[in-house]
Amino acid sequence: MTRTRTPGISRRSTLALMGAGAMTFAAPWVARAQAKTIKIGMPTILSGRVAQLGTSSRNAVMLEVEKVNVAGGLAGRQIEMVIRDSKGQPQEAARVARELVNTDGCELLIDAEASSGAFAVHEVARDLGVFCIHTNSETSSLTADPKQHIPNAFRTARQGVHDSIIGGSYAAAIAKTKGLKKWATCSPDYAYGRDTTAEFTLYLKRFAPEVEIISESWPKLFQPDYTEVVTKILQAKPQALYSCLWGGDLTSYIDQANIYAMFGQMEVFAVNMADYTALTVVKNLPKGIHSGNRYIKTFPTTPENAAWGDAYKAKYNEYPTNWSWENATAIMLMAEASKKANSADGKKIAEALKGLTIKCPFGADGTVTMRGDDHTLVGYAIGWGTTIPQEPYVPEVKAGDWKTIFELEAEWKKSKGYT
Amino acid sequence: MTELEAGRAQGLAPVRGGSVLQRYRDVLIALVAFAVLASVPLLTGSKALLDFVIRCSAYGLFATSLNLLVGYTGLTSFGHGMFFGLGAYSFGLIMQKLGVPIPVAFVATLAITALVAAAIGAICVRLKEIYFAFVTLAFQMLIHSTILSWASFTGGDQGLRGGIPRPVFLGIDLANHVHLYIASCALLILGLLGMRQIAQSPFGYTLRMIRDNAARASFLGIDVWRAKLTVFVLAALFAAMGGMVMALFVSGAYPEFAYWTISGEGIFINMLGGVSTFLGPMVGTVLLLLLNDTVTRFTEYHGIVLGVVILFFALGLRKGLLDFVAEWFSQRRDAGEGR
Repeated sequence: MTRTRTPGISRRSTLALMGAGAMTFAAPWVARAQAKTIKIGMPTILSGRVAQLGTSSRNAVMLEVEKVNVAGGLAGRQIEMVIRDSKGQPQEAARVARELVNTDGCELLIDAEASSGAFAVHEVARDLGVFCIHTNSETSSLTADPKQHIPNAFRTARQGVHDSIIGGSYAAAIAKTKGLKKWATCSPDYAYGRDTTAEFTLYLKRFAPEVEIISESWPKLFQPDYTEVVTKILQAKPQALYSCLWGGDLTSYIDQANIYAMFGQMEVFAVNMADYTALTVVKNLPKGIHSGNRYIKTFPTTPENAAWGDAYKAKYNEYPTNWSWENATAIMLMAEASKKANSADGKKIAEALKGLTIKCPFGADGTVTMRGDDHTLVGYAIGWGTTIPQEPYVPEVKAGDWKTIFELEAEWKKSKGYT
Repeated sequence: MTELEAGRAQGLAPVRGGSVLQRYRDVLIALVAFAVLASVPLLTGSKALLDFVIRCSAYGLFATSLNLLVGYTGLTSFGHGMFFGLGAYSFGLIMQKLGVPIPVAFVATLAITALVAAAIGAICVRLKEIYFAFVTLAFQMLIHSTILSWASFTGGDQGLRGGIPRPVFLGIDLANHVHLYIASCALLILGLLGMRQIAQSPFGYTLRMIRDNAARASFLGIDVWRAKLTVFVLAALFAAMGGMVMALFVSGAYPEFAYWTISGEGIFINMLGGVSTFLGPMVGTVLLLLLNDTVTRFTEYHGIVLGVVILFFALGLRKGLLDFVAEWFSQRRDAGEGR
């Protein structure tokens, strides 16, 4: 039996025609729907030891993006976040960042990488010319060093040198009133620990020249046992101790030092204590540890900040971290800049972002500014206080003075050959 | 001529004859492979695909060079990543500090790697098996720690910052994505061809003999230590080439490149692809990167997925993919001949 074709239009070609017709009509709609959303790529660390960096950054970003989307998005385009794990490896961070831009069509980047990963993403931003905000790297040179400067990259993270200036002046004032001359330091053995400690002691000695460092300990990052460090410090008998240990390292250190009743024997200045990641994890939080503010909902003492902290807790059932406010600020700034430029284009947002001041719950005076000349955040709440074992953990924070910061920062930049 | 030497001479003769033929065949295959790879940018505008091939070049050179040690010589190095890192750092530092043309930095990096590898190898290759593995690991950690603590020179744990300058040479602009892609492919193909020549040369067969029975090789008058040291240095050179491709790709060098996890990835790639065929590690590289890239797109629990895959290869196949395929083919052929 042979098959014969019926004359006229076959069923198949009818279907094909209908399909083509439907496509012709639908294509502009599909295209418009795609143009409506703007994709923002976000490489960060979601696995391994510092996964909390990524998860708390992501939480804060999503919290803010929802608000921006409800208010109409970036210049009328709804934001779609594409968040991907880099495993904390710089080469993966670079790859993921390139993939987000080249394959996923992300037009803007939020770089929520730590230390070396941030520099790797920075190079991608340099290569591709894509708009990028670094939200977690506190390394001062990322924005202070003119060699790093590119017009399309910004930073909303706090900066190491700012913390050191405020920490140094706060500690010096206490050293003078209490007569603390012999100091010890105990910080993690990597660039952040070394640099931050060096800068802190520099400013401590500047404001209190009689201070002397009699013992230095450099435990490894993620070291599980601090016995040798604790006993070394106790033997040196300092009057005060400075530490920039953070997160799990800081809590293990405090738990182990508590066994030796270390905190009764000296004044302790731990810059990273006042962060919920440490405050809520320590078994017996000693009273009277001096700490810089990382994120705490009671400082700045404004209803906006408290409301933000509570909203975050209500949504995610945990308190925000220092990384959270830094990432939230990035979205707030992008939204404002895009409103000002009336565009979601990376170049225009970058132009509008320079020198932009916005209302922000994390500002020292209720506002923060993206400084125009070095593309880094200034005016954020920064201060020091002492701990108590229960909420609100750090009841009173003494606010730092941004005028002092600007003066000394300019001096520091000159000494480094940056200006 | 002793009986053994006579046997050896007889055994080698056909191999030599075969390798001349094979050499031309390999060059031809290499040329075709390069032509195919080089035509990719003409066919597709996908930057992600180019990125993928560039990374395959970096890891492929590294993993195949590791196979020269593991598969051909029986030296399981746990510290091979140090040469990957060394290549990336030497190249990056030379380009940043001296500003010489790229080919000069390339050759200088190979020279530095050869020197360091000769010094480290001279100590390591005296040892066998687990001792060799651990001493190479120790040297790797030494290099990694040096990079971390010599912060004024290497940038410490922040890595080499500020980007690697890529001045144009001979009309090649490595800052251009397509140029970088072609250059990476060329390095990969040249590197693979070079390693293939080493593996198929009489020296390569000496290595196999050392792997199978070092004592016998020594009785035959082969200086085992020298042969091992030579292949250790050669493998280091190709690993450094991989490191340089990676440094160019990320425009920087980071201490992670010299960390033991890179060596671990190299071993894993070899397990995945197979160590008994020359292209096994290359297949493993493509598999691992493909797996890594697709899995991380969908989940942050990529560790579980990769772990399951390792288990599948280690417990299920009990060999690398290409080993498995090669065995399957030879079994089919044997069965066909038997019929």
